[in-house]
Amino acid sequence: MNGSGAVARYTLVELSRRRILLVFFIVGAVGIIALGIGLKVLYQVASSNPRGFGNGAVDPATFDHFLELLFVSYLFQALAVFALLIAYAIGMTAIYHDLDSGAAVSIFSKPVSRLAFATGKVGAAVVGLIAIVGLLALEARLVMFLFGGGLENALTGQLIAVMANAIVVMLIVLSLSTWINNILAAVVTFIYFNVITGIITTLHLVADAGVIGNTAVRNVFDVLYWLVPHQLVSSAVRDLAQAEIQMSGGVQSNQALASVPAPSGPGDIAWWVFTVFVFAALVYYAVRRRQV
Amino acid sequence: MAAVVTVQNLRKRYRRRDPWAVDGVTFDLQPGQAFGLLGPNGAGKTSVVKMIAGLVRPDSGSITLFGTEPGNPVARKDLGFSPEDPDFPKFLRASEVLDYFASLLGLDGAERKRRIPETLAFAGLDTEHRQIRQYSKGMKQRLGIAQAILGRPKLLVLDEPTADLDPIGRRDVRALIERLKESGVAILLNSHLLSEVERVCDTVAILARGRVLKEGTMAEVVPEGSNLEDVFVQLVEANQPQRDHLPSFISDATP
Repeated sequence: MNGSGAVARYTLVELSRRRILLVFFIVGAVGIIALGIGLKVLYQVASSNPRGFGNGAVDPATFDHFLELLFVSYLFQALAVFALLIAYAIGMTAIYHDLDSGAAVSIFSKPVSRLAFATGKVGAAVVGLIAIVGLLALEARLVMFLFGGGLENALTGQLIAVMANAIVVMLIVLSLSTWINNILAAVVTFIYFNVITGIITTLHLVADAGVIGNTAVRNVFDVLYWLVPHQLVSSAVRDLAQAEIQMSGGVQSNQALASVPAPSGPGDIAWWVFTVFVFAALVYYAVRRRQV
Repeated sequence: MAAVVTVQNLRKRYRRRDPWAVDGVTFDLQPGQAFGLLGPNGAGKTSVVKMIAGLVRPDSGSITLFGTEPGNPVARKDLGFSPEDPDFPKFLRASEVLDYFASLLGLDGAERKRRIPETLAFAGLDTEHRQIRQYSKGMKQRLGIAQAILGRPKLLVLDEPTADLDPIGRRDVRALIERLKESGVAILLNSHLLSEVERVCDTVAILARGRVLKEGTMAEVVPEGSNLEDVFVQLVEANQPQRDHLPSFISDATP
């Protein structure tokens, strides 16, 4: 498509020079290192205690594994938070600033179609997000060497889920910021994706677990669930919970695991693909309608 | 000779309750012709040129740009547009902006290498390495004109091109317009600087409240012994409500 490559290339150049993304990246990178080193230091201090852990009840290897689980658990949360922050930052700036500053006037007067412009912007935004979160994940993977092996694959699965969810958020902000102020777009997206969708997903999970007996209410949540984007979940979350439960004695593991979201199935993944197409189309529609 | 741009009975308003920003504007522009679009603030001049550049959709009427409608990217291949108050992606440098736009224009690598330094030198930005966010209004205006001529257009639309320029910049723009005109490029000039329009334009249209009040060659619009400014002021004042020129707290003040 004529021009989309140039739009993508220079959008990436712009993103690489935006301080807010650099700040999020640095805070994320420092945070992950601090988390890893902090837990390792905790382990060293604890293992130097001749009485051992938990009055000798837990051996050093188990404690090391526990720390690794703790690190991975925090890491998942940190990655998800930073991926979302970066998605919001990119979504709020990639198209909005061109429209707001008047740069779009010069760009749209060139022989570039609105479709090529939207494709270039969305492409650059996705590549930018994957690059930044990917770098944080790579750093996290290196920090994991401090704890030995075992959960590296879990990180990969979770990273893909985190990025997939962040892409949806970014596309929603991108499309809304073409219509309205970018801060308002971020607030609306947060309410829609993190609050409304979160509530519907949780209630659907509760309904699925049989807590809600009324079939009609369950059906309502079933319908609502398929009207909102689904946050993808990797098997890592459940594996991690299972490992933690096993370590703590494995008591009532099935009941405890019921509250942990199950890994996303093919239906959820297909729904995610559909959602991405819908929101990308919405970005194009908004760009196409926009008069500058 | 086929008209470069044909505008017929163009109408536009931005909200249903608003008055028409552009109301029945009709004109055409031939190759090598310099057409001046004049009018007071809010007359609808910028709306007209934005519709020609495919940036704003008309409510009714038609525009033909190089034989097709301006929404078609192909129609804009030979269009150079320097907007009023131009801006660019603020984290890029001038050379990057021109490279970006050259890519959108479909210029190959060799052509980009040749044109970009020359265009930057023309705009006086060849030694400027700061990002656009650090540019003054005048520097942005220079870059706005530079990007408009980068594709060697057959129609150059200049919306208040000299508003923020220093006298040397104004002289350069005048020379540019005259040189392009000689080479057959059609020029559409929006400007408040009537002396400038009088110097470079062959035909003019005076707009007020979206309507064309008078249109014709410079000789038809400006009678002998008069000048464009007098004609403009008379026409515009006759078509708008009378108003006191100074607020009473200024005019009534005793020294």
